[in-house]
Amino acid sequence: MYHKGIEGFPYFLGLRSLADIATRDDRVCVLNVLGGESRTVTPTSHAFSGGNVVFGTSPGRGGQVLKTPVGDIPVYNNVREGLDAGHAFDTGVVYLPPSGVRDGVAELVRVNPGLRKIVIITEKISVHDAREIRAMAQANGIDIIGGNCLGVADSWNRVRIGGALGGDKPEESLLKGSVAIFSNSGGFTTTIAQYLATAGWGTTTLVSSGKDVYIHYAAPDFAHAFGNDDRSKAAVLYAEPGGYYEQGIDWTKPVVACVVGRWKSKLTRAVGHAGAMAGSGDSAEDKERWFMGAFGVPGLFTPENPVVSAKGAVVTNIADIPAALTAVMALNGAAPDFAPRGDLALKPWVANDQGLRLPPELAMPAVTAPEPYAGQIAALGAQVGAVVARQNMKDKSGASVMDPKTQVTSVHGHSVLDLALEPLEATFALPLVHEIATENDRAMLDVAVAAEVNLVGDPILVAADAAREAGNAPNAVMATAAAIVGPKRVERALGCTRALIGLFAHSGLRDGRDEEFDASGIVCDDATRALFLATEAEAADPRPEAMLAAIAARGGRSAFLKFLGGLGGRLSRDAILAAIATTIAWGPLMRKRISRLTAETLPWYLRLYGVMVGATIPGEHHRSGSLWGIPRDERFGQWTMADLCFLAMTGKKPTPEEALPLQMLVGLLISNGPGSISAQGAKGAVSADGPQTPARVQINKAMVGFLTHTGYSHGGNGFEGMAFLLEQFKDAGLTDPSDPAHGLDLKAMATAFARTYRREKAQAKELGTEVRALPGVHHPVFKGKPVNHDPRERFIAEFMARQGKYNVFHAFYRELVQALHDQGASPYVFCVNVDAVIAALLLALLWKDFKSGTLTERDLETAAFTVFLYGRMIGAAAEIDDHLNRGRNMDTRTPPPACGFVV
Amino acid sequence: MHLNGMLYGSRLLGHVDFPASEVLGPDAGEDAIQDLIARHGLIFVKPVFRGGVGKKGKAGLIGKARDLKTALAEKERLYFAEHRHGNAFAKANGVTFEAGIPAEHEVYFAITDDTHFRAPTMTLTHRGGVEIEDLDKSDIATVPFEALTGLKAFVVANALTDIGAPREIISPLVQHLPKLWELMHHYGMTTLELNPIRMRPGRDGRLTPVACDFKCGFDRDDPRVGRLGLPDQLFAADISAFEQEVNQLRTHQGQSDVFVINESGTILAPTFGGGANSLVTEVLGEAAIISSDFGGNPPYEKMKAVASICYRHFLPQTNVLFIIGGKSNNTDILETFRGMGDALREYFAAHGPTPLYVVVGRGGPNLVRGMGNLTETLESLGLPYRFFGFDSAISEVVNYAKRVDTWMRAGGRDEIAATLGLKAAAA
Repeated sequence: MYHKGIEGFPYFLGLRSLADIATRDDRVCVLNVLGGESRTVTPTSHAFSGGNVVFGTSPGRGGQVLKTPVGDIPVYNNVREGLDAGHAFDTGVVYLPPSGVRDGVAELVRVNPGLRKIVIITEKISVHDAREIRAMAQANGIDIIGGNCLGVADSWNRVRIGGALGGDKPEESLLKGSVAIFSNSGGFTTTIAQYLATAGWGTTTLVSSGKDVYIHYAAPDFAHAFGNDDRSKAAVLYAEPGGYYEQGIDWTKPVVACVVGRWKSKLTRAVGHAGAMAGSGDSAEDKERWFMGAFGVPGLFTPENPVVSAKGAVVTNIADIPAALTAVMALNGAAPDFAPRGDLALKPWVANDQGLRLPPELAMPAVTAPEPYAGQIAALGAQVGAVVARQNMKDKSGASVMDPKTQVTSVHGHSVLDLALEPLEATFALPLVHEIATENDRAMLDVAVAAEVNLVGDPILVAADAAREAGNAPNAVMATAAAIVGPKRVERALGCTRALIGLFAHSGLRDGRDEEFDASGIVCDDATRALFLATEAEAADPRPEAMLAAIAARGGRSAFLKFLGGLGGRLSRDAILAAIATTIAWGPLMRKRISRLTAETLPWYLRLYGVMVGATIPGEHHRSGSLWGIPRDERFGQWTMADLCFLAMTGKKPTPEEALPLQMLVGLLISNGPGSISAQGAKGAVSADGPQTPARVQINKAMVGFLTHTGYSHGGNGFEGMAFLLEQFKDAGLTDPSDPAHGLDLKAMATAFARTYRREKAQAKELGTEVRALPGVHHPVFKGKPVNHDPRERFIAEFMARQGKYNVFHAFYRELVQALHDQGASPYVFCVNVDAVIAALLLALLWKDFKSGTLTERDLETAAFTVFLYGRMIGAAAEIDDHLNRGRNMDTRTPPPACGFVV
Repeated sequence: MHLNGMLYGSRLLGHVDFPASEVLGPDAGEDAIQDLIARHGLIFVKPVFRGGVGKKGKAGLIGKARDLKTALAEKERLYFAEHRHGNAFAKANGVTFEAGIPAEHEVYFAITDDTHFRAPTMTLTHRGGVEIEDLDKSDIATVPFEALTGLKAFVVANALTDIGAPREIISPLVQHLPKLWELMHHYGMTTLELNPIRMRPGRDGRLTPVACDFKCGFDRDDPRVGRLGLPDQLFAADISAFEQEVNQLRTHQGQSDVFVINESGTILAPTFGGGANSLVTEVLGEAAIISSDFGGNPPYEKMKAVASICYRHFLPQTNVLFIIGGKSNNTDILETFRGMGDALREYFAAHGPTPLYVVVGRGGPNLVRGMGNLTETLESLGLPYRFFGFDSAISEVVNYAKRVDTWMRAGGRDEIAATLGLKAAAA
């Protein structure tokens, strides 16, 4: 039951020539024209084809229009309304969802007697509906192309009907020439056209057939129309396994057939193309044989073995199509349509091996892409540093994360345990540059911070002392100092950094340490030069020279300092600070690990670090040219961050034995993730200023936010463990906590305490009172096993053992948890937690000074709090910078429904 | 989605009143089996395979029993039988006991959509019960028919006459076979095959066709399959947990077709376009973890969800994340790359970094913006990458990805792990 079409076909076929498939005369009606896909594709098709869409339908949206570059396409509720409005069309395009396609075809066929063909774009049409669609079209004499296809296009007529052949720029791929394309793959229809151009071949008509079980316009139909199209001298046919459409075709002109899908026989289910599943005789190999028979070739064409005949060639890789076609056409005496355009060699457009050394054949450098892409890539390249999308950052962090299982926090991918093993100066910049500082960077950082610590003559010192004298804890003293380091105090340093980044951004400098870099092409205008140079008011400030000398003494290298040195003037302290910051930030900035914003604000953090450490040193020790008796040159030229911190806590420089535990303490304390109170304080402060206008965010105030969110419970409680240990060891006659030959019977001490504690516990139970908590023992996560360990404590213990270091307090804690269990005071062996480690390390560090009376118990408490603040200052900087880059204004608010009211 | 055997076949045939042999399931008691033998004399014991595997008879996987002892022995032999046919492998879980139908005539009947005709096509022979490929062409009728009117009685009658079928089977077949079109067409099947249909004589000597084996394929894109109320786990053998998860996102906007090729592959290749899928699957071979087609312009959310599932299942073992497609026609590169990049960022946030090299080959709308977005993500994750535009041959890009995989296996993975601060590479 089929309508009579072209003679000789046992079914209806109406399209006689490829020249008729997509013409400028075709008038098109698009069903579901306002659907997601049509809305983006149809305007391009319409404009490319000279405005061939007469109307579209979208039930319920009649009266709307689809805007296109060449005018609006009217939309009707249905086809009848459109026809009644006076529009006429002969071609239907179906963009309906799968369940609606069959009915859409019926509508087109029944309502419009002038209909000639339909292009079905929709994929995932059920076989059931495809059967009926075929039957309807056959009975009514309609040609259908598709489904699950991208329609048809004609490079001569500059028309495309239906889908998106040629993408959003059809003129790029649809180049006029002599080759017709028929492809089971919509994507490859365009891709093959583009590949052909690399050998100088253009196209006539392109048919994307789809690859469902039912291919309504199939290879035999194409072969017939191809034979009748004088423009088409050759054809390329792309086929996949499944179906007998390509069998027994008598091709009348040369054809290159590409059969892909041998491997697909290993799949038991179709992926992508529903019809690309072979049965018993329609596998990829079968199809290759059909074509080889039709072309009279004994094998497949490959570049190594180019088997062709004048009738055609069979390839299995679409990249071989251009060469095969050229070879076939040479036998027919035909030359390509135009000069080759481009080639198909591997051309990376963008690449970054992140410093890895790949083998040369893999590490091919990026090449310039064709226009307009090259221009777009260049514009991307002009972007300096990373760009991070903003989102609500309440309780979230892109800087730190705590593993709930191990309770170990990582900051920018480095666990605090690993950080505890790094020198302090190596971790100070981590929150900002996201990398552990190199030797050179450490030297630079030490100088930068050292230059900020001495606050003599600065009102900060007066304020900090006043805060201290008023009985405040160290966090409030630090906060007082930080509050004064406001935007104006860093205005010029940040300006200098901005200027340096601007000057060097596109200079090709990759490494900030590269003093050999030729900066002669970088021109600095007078205003910028003036920004870098010291003013007359700064004439008395000895620090710029001292800093430069110190950097030279430490062997620090900086392309920026070298550049500034060439400006021919006395540099300001701000300019040197900016150059140091830029040197440290440059690599990560160029590698897009950090944003430009982060790099530009780095000096603020460095200044804050120095001032906050400096403020913990009482005012009387700040003298002109010396700090706690340490001359400036020595401090600038030799001292490290750890030395300065130790000085602030004890008034002296640490020995290497003392520096290590301090470094470990600070490392362990850096962060406990975004949920910790201190992090919340910092994040809230940023959020309240509004990170979406980053220039208004006061980083010093965010530091104050962190500091106000620490206190005797959060931070100060490090002292509780020390107090507990002091009580145990006060009369023990201990002289050196690091000497294993201390002569104490720790087990007996622990057992005695455990007995007492057990009695206390029993009494408390009887009285119904709270039993006292033991600081440093037990943990809500690491519990319940016969013997428990805090992995952080284990990590430190193992490291200390490897280093041959001993800590009597730590050893006592280990005895204590065992004794508590042995004496029945605990149901199992509790863990020694990380707080115990911190208390043990710190008490050991300060023990001698305490015993000698240099430090009081109150000093110990202050020291415990202070060391916490030093560590957390780094973690807070990470959260502040992260929130500044990623967060939204006021995003730390808790929505009212999540809040509770309590009576 | 294939269904084999009479356990469910007899139920499905019941929908259109087509006679079927009596069948007992794996949980049949000894009394019921004994009763079945008593009434029919001969029963067949067949393993229950999920999905579709053929040639069970040839593989000796069909047991015959005339007494309970033999039936139970066959049950034990076949209950967990394994069967490989072509690329399909199946493991049985249970057996059926099917009544033997004494008959003189065995008929083969099938309907499928034949691409020779582009129409539903009936295949029919009165010389059934054997492999159809073994028969002489003249004994087989292959008749396309019109889908709108369906399989009509006269089509069956003409076909049987053409192949010279015995007179006595014509009338009963003409009466019953058209029902099978109803079953096939209205319940979302793509193929239906009954072999054999045994012609059981009634008291009056009149023959009744009785289906003694059943095979069908379902169209996963046809909601009519749901009308049968078949339990989902019937088709579970077809798909892995990963595929199951991805399939839940299967909608018409944007493909989400996946197939796990090699559970221990090392290249994870989200592929765009059916053609690209064929080519990529071909060139990557066993190195690929999945064969996929995510084209069809998926929206951001869907792309991100699909990518998240892929990463969750396979990223730890992946050496090369390989995003590959031709020059897309309408798939928005920015949206899809953003989806995949954000999913990667979230994966790293939740599970920590994993050593990866990222290779991209792509073209299409918003290409450079998409590449820019993805490079930002990769830069922030510290991952090495190399992106190719559409002007590199896609097959060469696939080969490049393979070469990177080789390098990764030969120490590259450890090098990347080191740059990511990982102590040891996982795979």
